[in-house]
Amino acid sequence: MDFSLSDEQEMIRDMCREFAEEEIKPRAEELDRTGAFPYYIVRKMANLGLLGLPFPEEYGGAGADFLSYCLALEEIGRGDASVGITMEAHTSLGATPFYLFGTEEQKQQYLVPLARGEQLWAFGLTEPNAGSDSAGTETRAVKSNGVWHINGAKNFITNAGTDMTGGVTITAVTGRQSDGHKQITNFIVPQGTPGYLIGNPYHKMGWKASDTRPLSFEDCQVPDANRLGDEGDGFRQFMSILNAGRIAIAALSVGLAQACLDESLKYSRERQQFGRPIAAFQTIQFKLADMATEIELARNMYYKAAWLHMEGRPYTREASMAKLFASETAKRCADQAVQIHGGYGFMDEYPVSRFWRNVKVHEIGEGTSEVQRILIYKNL
Amino acid sequence: MKIVMCVKETPSTTAEKRFGADMRLERRKEDAIINPFDEYSIEEGLRQQEKHGGETIVLSMGPATATDTIRKALAMGADRGVLVSDPALAGSDAVATARVLAAALQKIGFDLVLFGSAAADAYGGIVPSAVAEFLGLPLLSFATKLDEDGTTAKIERQAEVGYNTVETQTPALVSVMKSINEPRYPSMKGIMQSKKKTIDTMSLADLGIESGTVGAGASGEKALSAEKITTQRKGEIYMGNDGAAERVVAFLVEQKVL
Ligand SMILES: Cc1cc2nc3c(=O)[nH]c(=O)nc-3n(C[C@H](O)[C@H](O)[C@H](O)COP(=O)(O)OP(=O)(O)OC[C@H]3O[C@@H](n4cnc5c(N)ncnc54)[C@H](O)[C@@H]3O)c2cc1C
Repeated sequence: MDFSLSDEQEMIRDMCREFAEEEIKPRAEELDRTGAFPYYIVRKMANLGLLGLPFPEEYGGAGADFLSYCLALEEIGRGDASVGITMEAHTSLGATPFYLFGTEEQKQQYLVPLARGEQLWAFGLTEPNAGSDSAGTETRAVKSNGVWHINGAKNFITNAGTDMTGGVTITAVTGRQSDGHKQITNFIVPQGTPGYLIGNPYHKMGWKASDTRPLSFEDCQVPDANRLGDEGDGFRQFMSILNAGRIAIAALSVGLAQACLDESLKYSRERQQFGRPIAAFQTIQFKLADMATEIELARNMYYKAAWLHMEGRPYTREASMAKLFASETAKRCADQAVQIHGGYGFMDEYPVSRFWRNVKVHEIGEGTSEVQRILIYKNL
Repeated sequence: MKIVMCVKETPSTTAEKRFGADMRLERRKEDAIINPFDEYSIEEGLRQQEKHGGETIVLSMGPATATDTIRKALAMGADRGVLVSDPALAGSDAVATARVLAAALQKIGFDLVLFGSAAADAYGGIVPSAVAEFLGLPLLSFATKLDEDGTTAKIERQAEVGYNTVETQTPALVSVMKSINEPRYPSMKGIMQSKKKTIDTMSLADLGIESGTVGAGASGEKALSAEKITTQRKGEIYMGNDGAAERVVAFLVEQKVL
């Protein structure tokens, strides 16, 4: 057994750590306050190849492996979770479906500009009446004369409405299977397609600088060439996309948890009460030790899930475990970080109050903690 | 055009510095980074290459593990690396280091050699001029701007007030200041490609240098003691309503800020 990272993996992690420290962290407070989409940072990331990490060079990517991508996400997320989720949703949810399921033509047309970071892409699965129950999709697509007519609505869709967004890939019901279940197919809907309406961004509790919007489709028409994969293959496709996405969310959560520990260590060694730094009190030391221990465990779990994925072995259970444990670890860390900061932690001037607001959605997005436990149980 | 950037592996500026019994800095692999000053010379070399074409080579003298540091420069975009490494080099002072770099540069060949203005471990800053002396070539030092056209190199040299313009024929050596550019981050593709680039290793024998002329024994520079500097910065705090604002204004006037 060998726990060491490759030279490339280490270099990617170190470079992202430096980038997050210098380019993201100093802007995180303002991004959170204004909720403005971080174009400046995202474009810089695009130029550095951070938006196409796990895709081959021939498709505009960096040719790095999946773990490298996760390591990068951890570091970017340590700088700011909004920037991290923008990168994650673009890569795991937006670009990966083209890479895994697209025709060569679709890869050239869509994946290449996404991997190069010239465009962002969104993935629309969630609907007002289909959240955890993603098979309950109601959006319909009906084919007539070789053209698909899409009607329905999606909500909470990340990256759907930025100036850099090229479009969205959505799930839609295209019929019934022989067993009576809905037949789901995925469609590519470029920005500007008539009948594709992008709503205003939501006002959110955290991840404020990420772009999240409701979408609606009113007789939105796309040619058959915009079908991704076979008719009826949609369910299998998004299950596999979400599986790998969960490892990425785990990495992002570890980054956020690490940021909580970073701030807590710094603050507790500076803050004096009863004539000494509060870090001199065992109660505080134990909190810090617990945080560090859980973070290390969460990190090892996402490393392992990523490794299984790269090895081509089954990883559904481990991906859910990684996502569940990392997001709940991050929640506990954010909670303790605020506690260690006392009243100052409740104030917006200190980053930990932002961490506390950001962390909640890590237990919700890409499958709630309850859903992860269901999936883990199913795989016991 | 052949551009050589000389880089040094130094301990991270935030790493705790520890000294061995011989008063030499203990270098731990985990703390090793590219000398931060050298990031500017690497960047400048890459920019010159982008303008004029040619080849960029990263040259370092150091332990065998310094290939990691060279690799980082290759990830930024340099074409290949050369590491001069030899057990007999341990303890070399600035002059011995310069002797070795000069020999390596002669072997590699160059039109332009770039240095950072100092290294963030000892802040000696004399290696560039010593290398120039060994090579018998001009050094344009402390450049805040560099123009190179294949036959001449012209710099703006930082002066106490403003700058001097200095020009020389190539081949030439240039040491650069931090204000000359903003170093790039290695791109993801750069990192992935860096592994495929070559790093040649040269020993003292390869350079035809007698081991007795370098290393600790041949170094005139000896560290006798090392101690921690404690700087005491003293801030003045004016509080309350009894004239604090007036005292701040008076202070600023005194400092000629207002
Ligand atoms: C900021 C943000 C960004 C998002 N980005 C995207 C995106 O880009 N694309 C996309 O498609 N979606 C996106 N989502 C949607 C996200 O994936 C869903 O919110 C999530 O899957 C939960 O669905 P829901 O909100 O409808 O909650 P519900 O499914 O209604 O769940 C409500 C509660 O019931 C629980 N519950 C539901 N079913 C069960 C059950 N069987 N057993 C036990 N408990 C259950 C849930 O765990 C939860 O606690 C985003 C959400 C947010 C908040």
